[in-house]
Amino acid sequence: MYFLLRALANIRQNIFVNVVTIGTITLALLIVSLFLLVFVNLENAAENWSERVQVTVYFDRELTIQEQTMLRGKIKALPETSSVSYVSRDEALKRFKNRLRGQETLLEGVRPEVLPTSFEISLKRAHRDTQGVENFVASLKRVPGITEVQYGEEWVRRFNSFLNFMRLLGALLVGFLILAVVFIVSNTIKLTIYARRDEIEVMSLVGATSFFIKAPFLLEGLMQGLAGAIISICLLLGLYVGFLHNAGSFLTFNLVSSGLGFLPPEYIGGIILSGAILGFTGSLTSLKRFVNP
Amino acid sequence: MIQLHNVSLAYQQDASALNNINLKVGKGEFVFLTGPSGAGKTTLLRLLYGALTPTRGQVLIDGQNISRMTTFQIPHLRRSIGVVFQDFKLLQSRTVFENVAITLEVLGWGRADIGKKTMHMLKQMGIESKYNLITQRLSGGEQQRVALARALVNDPKILLADEPTGNLDDANKNQILAIFKEANVRGTTVVVATHDRRLIEHGHKRLITLNKGEIVEQMEKEENIDEYAF
Repeated sequence: MYFLLRALANIRQNIFVNVVTIGTITLALLIVSLFLLVFVNLENAAENWSERVQVTVYFDRELTIQEQTMLRGKIKALPETSSVSYVSRDEALKRFKNRLRGQETLLEGVRPEVLPTSFEISLKRAHRDTQGVENFVASLKRVPGITEVQYGEEWVRRFNSFLNFMRLLGALLVGFLILAVVFIVSNTIKLTIYARRDEIEVMSLVGATSFFIKAPFLLEGLMQGLAGAIISICLLLGLYVGFLHNAGSFLTFNLVSSGLGFLPPEYIGGIILSGAILGFTGSLTSLKRFVNP
Repeated sequence: MIQLHNVSLAYQQDASALNNINLKVGKGEFVFLTGPSGAGKTTLLRLLYGALTPTRGQVLIDGQNISRMTTFQIPHLRRSIGVVFQDFKLLQSRTVFENVAITLEVLGWGRADIGKKTMHMLKQMGIESKYNLITQRLSGGEQQRVALARALVNDPKILLADEPTGNLDDANKNQILAIFKEANVRGTTVVVATHDRRLIEHGHKRLITLNKGEIVEQMEKEENIDEYAF
């Protein structure tokens, strides 16, 4: 209790220094959380892109209704399958025509019979990577009656390597950002403690144990970190509500119209926690230099 | 109370600040430590409150060997020693009251007791009316008394003072000396480092002269001060 009162009194007495420290922590965490916001949304956009990972089973004849239901059931029974739809010859022709709009003359003489029928299968999220798709195709081929299976091998591979590259880049950037933040914040805290080194000296000379000297500073650091984190989350929310959530179409390449999402709660918790840790450890490491008997 | 056996201390390899010091100060004694600047007075005091450890030899305070103390024991030693520094080392942005109360806060006293004891001490020093002033605003003499109050408020076994009258006028010097004597009468062992002759002449009980890190002279004196001419 004494330490808490002492820490609060310190904050009151050194209001300017505290405002600077909290401001630094706020800005640093705001930059990190802004980056996280963009990153989380890009990841979401990528998830949506992966809807396009689709496996198609072709048949050279029109299937009877019984055959359709039978095969549909077998495909659905596979654990990776998320949805299945049948494309009849008429449907296929319609799509073909759509694609060649303006050049319909090319289709003269094309009758539905020359086109294949197919099942279009989309996969559950967890199985959309290269390996998952290949495994799925292998088990599809084991279903009797299915012979020809196609999927955009190249596309899937490229898409997944792009995704991995993005994640690596993001992790690297976040890593550098965090390093920079730790460096800046710990230096700011070091300055504030340096400004009060005479107090530390006097405490030690009248016989205070190092715990007794450190505790108020650590609490102060903890409170600064928490305050900084909470303010930065509020600012981020302000920015988000202010204009970011309308910018969805720009950031997600028009793929999803739902707009940008805000950070999920576990990220917010993480930012607040890291603010507290930042303030605490920043004070702890700075104190090492000044508290010695 | 204070014992030094063959104590030497070197800040750097070749330059020794103290050389083979042997010294005994009994409980309740009043000792002046004198000598020219750089003789090692401040260094000797710093050894006594555990801010330095000797390169060779042993320092015993109240029977405890300082060089063998852990970092946890040093703070406890310091609670029984009051120190008045040459530059006071007051917290400039805190009030007089807070500067003195810090000694008792460290001891874990309750708020009410701290208030009572601190105000009592300030009254003894004659600065109780200034308790709520920032120390920055005080005169040199007043700051000195705050420093003294901080050192004496927990009734320490030992009081160490380094040039306590550095830039005070005569009236102030006498008052400070009177405070030292009073603490001494109440049983505190007092060691004052100074080269202020006036202070020594008026308060002289036992005088130790240092020069170039060695004790060059020790004098005991009973009653008649004026027989010793400086």
